Amino acid sequence: MTVTDATTSTAPHAPSASSRRAARGFAPVTPALALVVFVFVLPVLALLLRSVLEPQPGLQNYEAFFASTTYLKVLGNTFLVAGTVTVVTVLLGFPVAWFLAIAPGFWSRLLFAIVILSMWTNLLARTYAWMVLLQRTGIINRTLIDLGLISGPLPLINNLVGVTIGMTYIMLPFMILPLHATIRSIDPTVFQAAALCGASRWQAFTRVMLPLTASGIAAGALMVFVMSLGYFITPALLGGTSNMMLAELIAQLVQSLLDWGLAGAAALILLTITLAIYLVQLRFFGFGQARS
Amino acid sequence: MTFLDIRGVSKSFGNVAAVSDVSLEIARGEFMTFLGPSGSGKSTTLYMIAGFFEPTGGDIRLDGRSILAEPSNRRNIGMVFQRYTLFPHLSVAENVAFPLRVRRRSGAEVSRKVEEMLALVRLERFADRMPAQLSGGQQQRVALARALAYDPPLLLMDEPLSALDKKLREEIQAEIRRIHRETGVTILYVTHDQEEALSLSDRVALFNHGRIEQVGKGRDLYDAPHTRFVAGFVGHSNFLDCTIAARRDVRADIVFPDGSGCADIPLHAAASSGTAARLMIRPDRLQLAAPVPAAGPGIDTTLSDATFIGETFHFAVTTGWGAQVNVRLPAGAPMAHEPVIGERVRLSWNAADARLFAD
Ligand SMILES: Nc1ncnc2c1ncn2[C@@H]1O[C@H](COP(=O)(O)OP(=O)(O)OP(=O)(O)O)[C@@H](O)[C@H]1O
Ligand SMILES: [Mg+2]
Repeated sequence: MTVTDATTSTAPHAPSASSRRAARGFAPVTPALALVVFVFVLPVLALLLRSVLEPQPGLQNYEAFFASTTYLKVLGNTFLVAGTVTVVTVLLGFPVAWFLAIAPGFWSRLLFAIVILSMWTNLLARTYAWMVLLQRTGIINRTLIDLGLISGPLPLINNLVGVTIGMTYIMLPFMILPLHATIRSIDPTVFQAAALCGASRWQAFTRVMLPLTASGIAAGALMVFVMSLGYFITPALLGGTSNMMLAELIAQLVQSLLDWGLAGAAALILLTITLAIYLVQLRFFGFGQARS
Repeated sequence: MTFLDIRGVSKSFGNVAAVSDVSLEIARGEFMTFLGPSGSGKSTTLYMIAGFFEPTGGDIRLDGRSILAEPSNRRNIGMVFQRYTLFPHLSVAENVAFPLRVRRRSGAEVSRKVEEMLALVRLERFADRMPAQLSGGQQQRVALARALAYDPPLLLMDEPLSALDKKLREEIQAEIRRIHRETGVTILYVTHDQEEALSLSDRVALFNHGRIEQVGKGRDLYDAPHTRFVAGFVGHSNFLDCTIAARRDVRADIVFPDGSGCADIPLHAAASSGTAARLMIRPDRLQLAAPVPAAGPGIDTTLSDATFIGETFHFAVTTGWGAQVNVRLPAGAPMAHEPVIGERVRLSWNAADARLFAD
């Protein structure tokens, strides 16, 4: 009834002052922190330094990157693929996550096992499997030709289409799992309530389901987008030489051209973009955790 | 005139019959309560009216038309659930506005109606709160406002107060009664709390094992139970083992296990002489007296326990064959002689207050 009982009821949701105070005594974790600084922060610092010091001090690496249409196109490809993969994983992942949450025990366990097993299977093996499926004489092209839907094989590999297909598959679990957790946390009676209130299925979806799962979608999308931006193996195997992604470019700059300066600049541009996206997400969705 | 007509409705889950052949006619503006033990099919019946379950048999008619073909969202029925079902991402006002928004009512009408509904449940000051910032009782009042916002002719309530403590429950019960009076909405209310059922409703339908055992005013269920189950479920009662010695129409003479007997008890089942039966008497319809031979039905017993709890005396007496009988006497009533434990007392009652049920 009173304002005080309302504030206590919300207290568990917000981090309390005392838990923040407790976090200050971090002496016991110092070795771990040192390791994290050493392993994660130092290499980034080293790269930053090389990007502004090699071959001579200055910002010429960054100028070169942004002046080159080739590099900008690589950056564009990277965003295009990461964006497409993110959108497609949301569209495919949502129904799967929803099915996982509401399907009867056996079917949801089976589907869950498939999702998890595919995550645990070696990444290279899965990518090679897609090479087999997508090539000119692969199952997909042959089936489509046999069905008379196309006359010649579609170019599904060694281009951005192949990369997008392969990466969507790899990234799907990272969308399904957080989304599934969010959907599971919703009490299904709210949908019965919505129906009796007069909401059609579509209205219940747009006015109740989507708002309640927005945080899960955002968490999954951020994860997928950021991972896709820096992905290397799948683009390297399924992509073509003419349409590179940024990670491939960095590898080439380091391995073939030994241009550490430009590679460092490219890596830092990628890192900056990633952090910027993360901050935007934090601003709008908190930590992207499911509301409980 | 019948407003909601439930005709021979059944529902099975696999081979479990949750509701079997339930028929009930409810008048417009009536407050009807479904009472019954857990698992007796109350919610299942309500959910069939709401459209969440499809009956495996029978028909449900609202205002003369079958509603079974309509999906839930077209039935225009209001419902308050046992669990808190406010939309967690919408404020109190937006929750109440939700049914109006999905009906695409104009902004002015929505805000007028939201104001009216929040006034009805006395939560005007909470319009901008989020559901998580409300107590359980407040959430259920908002749910009530949301269920009434679109003026449904029928309101279903499935144990809406069961998660609340007693004091709050009584407070909201009073509000529900007031809202029923003010809006004239027909209410179907589910509870397994008999006090709640008796205090709220015009009529009570008592469920047991997926069937309705008896429908009637609370008073009828208490005073004239048709079955042993009804007698046992509504109010307190004593059941005494006995045998039917002779039967005349709707009356019977009975013999207790110790050989003593009573004549002319109203009988409520087809039972022939010689069969076992149970005599039911409410604890507050019994009298205790000194063991002198008296006119009228009665048995000789021994007082085994006596407790004074303010407004009433609770006595427990033991019959000659070892059965225990509870007696409640108003503390204010004069007792010629207050018995002490171990003393022999004569237990007596008016013939009209006893009922006989076949086993
Ligand atoms: N979805 C379902 N699937 C299978 N069986 C069900 C389902 N819903 C209810 N039942 C069964 O139907 C019977 C009646 O259940 P119902 O929920 O109607 O009881 P109730 O009277 O509302 O009880 P309570 O007071 O505990 O809410 C029970 O035996 C229950 O196990
Ligand atoms: Mg129930």
